[in-house]
Amino acid sequence: MKTKLSLLSAALLTVSLTLTPAISQAAIPISVNGDAIPSLAPMLERTTPAVVAVAVEGTHVSKQKIPDAFRYFFGPNAPQEQVQERPFRGLGSGVIIDAKKGYIVTNNHVIEGADEILIGLHDGREVEATLIGADAESDIALLQIKAKNLVAVKRADSDELRVGDFAVAIGNPFGLGQTVTSGIVSAMGRSGLGIEMLENFIQTDAAINSGNSGGALVNLNGDLIGINTAIVAPGGGNVGIGFAIPANMVNNLVDQIIEHGEVRRGVLGVSGRDLTNELAQAFGLDTQHGGFVDQVMEDSAADKAGIKAGDIIVSVNDRKIKSFQELRAKVATMGAGAKVKFGLIRDGDSKTVSATLGEASQTTETSAGAVHPMLAGATLENGDDGVEITDLAQNSPAAASGLQKGDIIVGVNRNSIDDLSALKAKLKEQQGTVALKVQRGNNSLFLVLR
Amino acid sequence: MAIKDTLLYVAKAVTFGLIMAAVFLFVTPLLTNNSSDLFFQKRGDNGFELSFSKAVRRAAPAVVNIYSLSVNRNQPLNSGSLQGLGSGVIMSKEGYILTNYHVIKQADEIVVALQDGRKFTSEVVGSDPVTDLAVLKVEVKVEGNTLPIVPVNLGAPAQVGDVVLAIGNPYNLGQTITQGIISATGRNGLSSGYLDFLQTDAAINAGNSGGALIDTSGQLIGINTAAFQVGGEGGGHGINFAIPIKLAHSIMGKLIKDGRVIRGALGITGEPVGPVIAQILNLPDLAGVVITAVDPNGPAAKAQLQPRDVITKFEGELVPGVEMLMDRIAESTPNQQVTMTIIRKGKVYDVPVTIGENVAEDAE
Repeated sequence: MKTKLSLLSAALLTVSLTLTPAISQAAIPISVNGDAIPSLAPMLERTTPAVVAVAVEGTHVSKQKIPDAFRYFFGPNAPQEQVQERPFRGLGSGVIIDAKKGYIVTNNHVIEGADEILIGLHDGREVEATLIGADAESDIALLQIKAKNLVAVKRADSDELRVGDFAVAIGNPFGLGQTVTSGIVSAMGRSGLGIEMLENFIQTDAAINSGNSGGALVNLNGDLIGINTAIVAPGGGNVGIGFAIPANMVNNLVDQIIEHGEVRRGVLGVSGRDLTNELAQAFGLDTQHGGFVDQVMEDSAADKAGIKAGDIIVSVNDRKIKSFQELRAKVATMGAGAKVKFGLIRDGDSKTVSATLGEASQTTETSAGAVHPMLAGATLENGDDGVEITDLAQNSPAAASGLQKGDIIVGVNRNSIDDLSALKAKLKEQQGTVALKVQRGNNSLFLVLR
Repeated sequence: MAIKDTLLYVAKAVTFGLIMAAVFLFVTPLLTNNSSDLFFQKRGDNGFELSFSKAVRRAAPAVVNIYSLSVNRNQPLNSGSLQGLGSGVIMSKEGYILTNYHVIKQADEIVVALQDGRKFTSEVVGSDPVTDLAVLKVEVKVEGNTLPIVPVNLGAPAQVGDVVLAIGNPYNLGQTITQGIISATGRNGLSSGYLDFLQTDAAINAGNSGGALIDTSGQLIGINTAAFQVGGEGGGHGINFAIPIKLAHSIMGKLIKDGRVIRGALGITGEPVGPVIAQILNLPDLAGVVITAVDPNGPAAKAQLQPRDVITKFEGELVPGVEMLMDRIAESTPNQQVTMTIIRKGKVYDVPVTIGENVAEDAE
């Protein structure tokens, strides 16, 4: 009897002693003894309270000029413009990044045009949020709520991510309530998709759907690696191709919004294109990835740092870049005044230069590229009746679109525009192919931007 | 006395418990380390981290994007543009690339793009519409300019529940890795061309065709081929198919050797022996294949085989069903003489048959 008892207590002791280290490791889902089932539940318990639902209400206002031909019917006192107001409601997701101050990151497209923003917290509370600032071109917005006992997510270094790493999306798809989906990092540095003006996405196969926008993409430690933003959806739903804005880009943007209430876009002052195989061969390079510099603007940050036309920019702050678009997205989101190290290849030799980014003004070339990728290379200025192209870089996308120096952009599709901000707004509304109405001398013509 | 007994009892229990715990703690990490080494890499001092990046680094460089350099006859000035067709997998240093037949079927000129940016024009070595496979070849002209190749797992067949990664170029976005599991496996038949797919829930979309399905150690286990579609619009249902590497590899060998896949043919239509047929024809059991039609010019007709004959053995081997017989016939070389055992009107005969050739036709 005693032997049995002592064996029993010995067994109990064995179990309790061996369990102690197992519990302390339970946070990381590793298979134990080779056959225990890994679970994300312990990580999610910590992380999900930091992801919120974002509900918005507002009015979309669209203005349309009444054509002269029709104005006849409305009489001489008819308004110049027809204003349409359409109320809308929207649902999305957001991520608490600062529990004390109540800062919440979401997508700009989730809250754009909203009069009221309501945050649904994980514990059921509903709190009204104020908009601190937003950046349409990168699609990031920062909100603030006043609430106690918030849980914030830790932010990971998204440059450390590798293709094949697990990724977990947390959000509010279709307004169903908080939903967690899992997948892996499918690709890094994805750009050239035409979803946003500035693109440098993490691609994932974790299911992302409508309403996931603004939600969190986290790693297995529950740290934020990206803000879920868009999907490729030929049939309307998820096909395993989703895109998230990397956490490091979000950090840069949020820092600027907190400091200035807006994003002060950094400008390097170069125009260029992707390094292609043909270019690499022509220049006798081993590298196949990078941004090829076509032109350096005078007195720009690049000019001062000694970057020259013909250089190939291969890294930004020691991180390799794949394409010119990725370079553009990185530089533009770093903020004016940021000191940045660029890795270059010039005449076959590697070099590193440091540049202090300049600030974008409304009329510089870079902002033209930011207005629409196909306008890159043009210098835009507000003219009398529209937006005038005061300068144009040869072989730039803008030149390839058929624009010429002196052209005045007066309309986008069927809407007329009279200044830069209107041009920006109209181009943002349009998806895919856009027709620009251009006044050239006495002629007016349409040019198509793809 | 009672106190001493109790103390002794406690001490014994504690000592034994400590020893057991020590042994267990010593053994456990050995067990866990062994099992996790395959999938997880050690990263810094934070212990193990789950990631497939090692497998991706091993296999992904050998998965290529396939483009068609199309010559548009209506707009000759605008031609010469690359159009994304699908994906392919570099199988050997000589530059042989496996892809789907449907990927390259309508291409005028095929351009293969590696992930490091290199581009090659390629030739079609051979294609097999029956299994939807094709082999391309690229020439590496510069010495020392080697091609990345993918490690191949021909040994252990994939099993339901195995974690897999699909690598390809969906919608021509650029190389994409998606993850899932093996949802189902087909028969392990060879080249008769019937459904022998691996089914996976890893996302596969247009452009993934011809790409790699790899296991978590980075070895190739299949060629991604099709996605289950409802209503013709997109995939996204989590039901996707890949050709198992064993079949793809054997077809590749044949395509490289002969430029096509030579399959044996018998010239019959048959069906499995069911209870009704067994009763009508008075058969001893339910095994075998009953001939329902004979091609009048085919090898079976020449060997005097008739409808209602029941094939029970092929070269002395019992025929359990239609699939096995089709595989054996397909694997036989044309003009090879084989012996089939049939039952006709209750009597057993051994019939010599000279196998013919099955000329593969484009399925469309």
